[in-house]
Amino acid sequence: MSKLISIDPFNRIEGDLRIELEIDANTVISAKSSGIMFRGFERIMPGRSPMDALVITPRICGICSGSHGVAAAKCLAHAQGAEMPENGFHMKNLILGIEVVMSHLSHYYLLFAPDLASPRYKKLSVYESVNQRFTAMSGSSVVLALKARQSALEIMGLVGGKWPNSLAIHPTGTTSTMNLSSLTRTIGILKEFRDFLEKRFLGCPLSEWLDIDSFDKLLKWRSKPQHSESDLGLFLTMCLEAGFDRIGKGPNRYMSYGAYDLPDGSTWLPSGYFDGRTRTFDQSLIKEHIGASFFRDAVEARHPMDGVTSPLADKTGAYSWAKAPRYDGRTVEVGPLARMIIADDPLLTDMIRQMDSSVMTRMFARLREMCRLTKEMSNWLEKINPNEPFYAVPSSRFTTNGIGLTEAARGSLGHWMKISSNLIDNYQVVTPSAWNMSPRDESGQPGPVEQALTGVSVADTNDPVEVNHIIRSFDPCMSCTVH
Amino acid sequence: MHNLLWLQGASCGGDTISFLNSEQPSALSSFEVLNINLLWHPFLSREQGDDVLNIFEEILSGKTKLDILILEGAIPNGPNNSGKFFMFHGRPFRDWLGDFCKHAEMIMSVGTCAAFGGVVTGHENINEMSGLQFLHDQKGGLLGSEFVSKNGLPVVNVPGCPSHPDWIVETMTALLKGWLHMDDLDEFHRPKVFFSKLAHHGCPRNEYYEFKASAVGYSQQGCLFEFLGCKGTLCESDCNERLWLGRTGSCTRGGFPCIACTSPLFPDKQRPYFSTRKIGDVPVTLPLDVPKAWFVGISGMSKLACPERLKKNAVSFKWIS
Repeated sequence: MSKLISIDPFNRIEGDLRIELEIDANTVISAKSSGIMFRGFERIMPGRSPMDALVITPRICGICSGSHGVAAAKCLAHAQGAEMPENGFHMKNLILGIEVVMSHLSHYYLLFAPDLASPRYKKLSVYESVNQRFTAMSGSSVVLALKARQSALEIMGLVGGKWPNSLAIHPTGTTSTMNLSSLTRTIGILKEFRDFLEKRFLGCPLSEWLDIDSFDKLLKWRSKPQHSESDLGLFLTMCLEAGFDRIGKGPNRYMSYGAYDLPDGSTWLPSGYFDGRTRTFDQSLIKEHIGASFFRDAVEARHPMDGVTSPLADKTGAYSWAKAPRYDGRTVEVGPLARMIIADDPLLTDMIRQMDSSVMTRMFARLREMCRLTKEMSNWLEKINPNEPFYAVPSSRFTTNGIGLTEAARGSLGHWMKISSNLIDNYQVVTPSAWNMSPRDESGQPGPVEQALTGVSVADTNDPVEVNHIIRSFDPCMSCTVH
Repeated sequence: MHNLLWLQGASCGGDTISFLNSEQPSALSSFEVLNINLLWHPFLSREQGDDVLNIFEEILSGKTKLDILILEGAIPNGPNNSGKFFMFHGRPFRDWLGDFCKHAEMIMSVGTCAAFGGVVTGHENINEMSGLQFLHDQKGGLLGSEFVSKNGLPVVNVPGCPSHPDWIVETMTALLKGWLHMDDLDEFHRPKVFFSKLAHHGCPRNEYYEFKASAVGYSQQGCLFEFLGCKGTLCESDCNERLWLGRTGSCTRGGFPCIACTSPLFPDKQRPYFSTRKIGDVPVTLPLDVPKAWFVGISGMSKLACPERLKKNAVSFKWIS
């Protein structure tokens, strides 16, 4: 006899989530992921000036407001045919970069790691250290990480004015500039953050860790005590002892829109769709489905440019306020793991070959990206020339509809804007966690997290720690998802 | 020990993220130094699922005293006033919230959404959202205009999109120490100590403002008031004196206009955001206590008196000596 259990609210994530599991003989046989709130951002957009998107859409999400700002600015740039000076590229990348690094840091220390201190793991060799460092809100590493975060965010003040909800990012550059003082100070703050990563998180120089290009070398790295006793070293041991390499298998299809635009027209992280090999990504293959979502429409699925947002709270069979985006009809996983695979990161490519997608690979991809970005931000900073402009005069005419695609901390973020007579006619947002946390579509195909939960063995149904790890490894943002 | 319950309604979580930017004391230390026992916070607490319900039940049964209730995010009333836009554990969130408000010794709305409805009330509030005791500048909201919590105060509103971490921590301090009285709140129940200044005060572009040396495009150093939509002269906040993120920035220091996000009328009545609406030659964002005729006269004279240095720098992205 199977039984139903629900985790409601499922917290220590962004936003509000309900998880329902059907469990038979301690094995999850099906899962439902529900966004339990409707906020209605897409309904407040029509009739506005297109530029309003820069103000309204970042407020969809408190933790990735800058990413929405980038998506909105790219949407407008697409509709205006805008040019941007070189400094504008580097400033935008710094704002997006620091936001993503801080999001990954807070995710690990505030949201994910406290589950590692569960009494379930008392018998593991690293439990004592893990418990001392990662207990929610009081662990020694948690407190230090929060301090490092607060200090590093001073970069955001210097390049973005304020955050969350900076308006510095415009389609043609940034309203903010840098001078000798702010540039020097930013370099210093970034160095301090790098020190935190090296001393506390890695136990070795950033470059040494980024040189690790295979799982074997990662295991060898762990053999030195200063490495194994770092926060990451402890986590590595914990992953292997607790079996995090064997739970949380996703759909094994990955997508990235590509992000961090560079002046030469390329992106620092490439776009692509991966289903065993990397293919060209094509946004026209995206559709949002509403079979199990609380929305009304004459058709089951639409491309976001033609998307409709008409809430229907009493819809029979529906269980989520999230729509269900699909790529060419299929579920895909988005986020750091997708980005690292599509970017051919050697460590993650090797790990995925050896242990498939799992809680461990997903977490290592996120932490790997945090380190890679920290290093890359120094390079972008070096390229800023305070004597050159940061912003170009935009055209006020919008000649076409806008599409703005970028990568937020949690994955692929897209804004689609239909314009009529210089006003917004329709605005649709498809967020990263809409992809990962999506409910079923009309064909009954479960979303990636629903799939990743299915088949997992739960030792104690009253305290399903395995389920916590799997869900949090995706770093859900339900605020974004239900926008 | 003071028991604190922090809830999120129709929220982006941005006020919690901002609270975590608090410096001295840090967010976590603030609980310690204020002797706060955090009963539950959706982003920070270990408890989830049924454990949360147990915490809720203990508050509602009177077993656990609720000293301070903080709400972040607007209250979803729709569709058709059913509350079904946010079902928290199978029950409309606003019903849970209404019950907690009856038990709370003191209540704080953090962020413009919880205070006044905020960004999600755009487009004539098509989404049926409200604040705890206001909808925009009208008293009422979920609790009604007459509501007071057990300490005799109405809901104390700490708006901002997001709210500044200092405003949050300092309001908690004043409330818990019993320093906050009705006289200390303005007509929108905001602590006057933060919201009786203007964002304009302390703006580094003030010399440009004085001489009406205006930026004509973004990323320039001049004043953003005349052409580029800045509402710092109307926005009740101390942003440019206090500064954000380790005292490193503010909206106008980041080169973009203040959009008056602490106002009960945010977002729709603050439009256009990026250009200045004028009647004749006079911006409608003129400070309320400055007589229009004088403003026209003074600004004409200031323009004539404007030093060359300012004229050049106002339209340049970098300093020209």
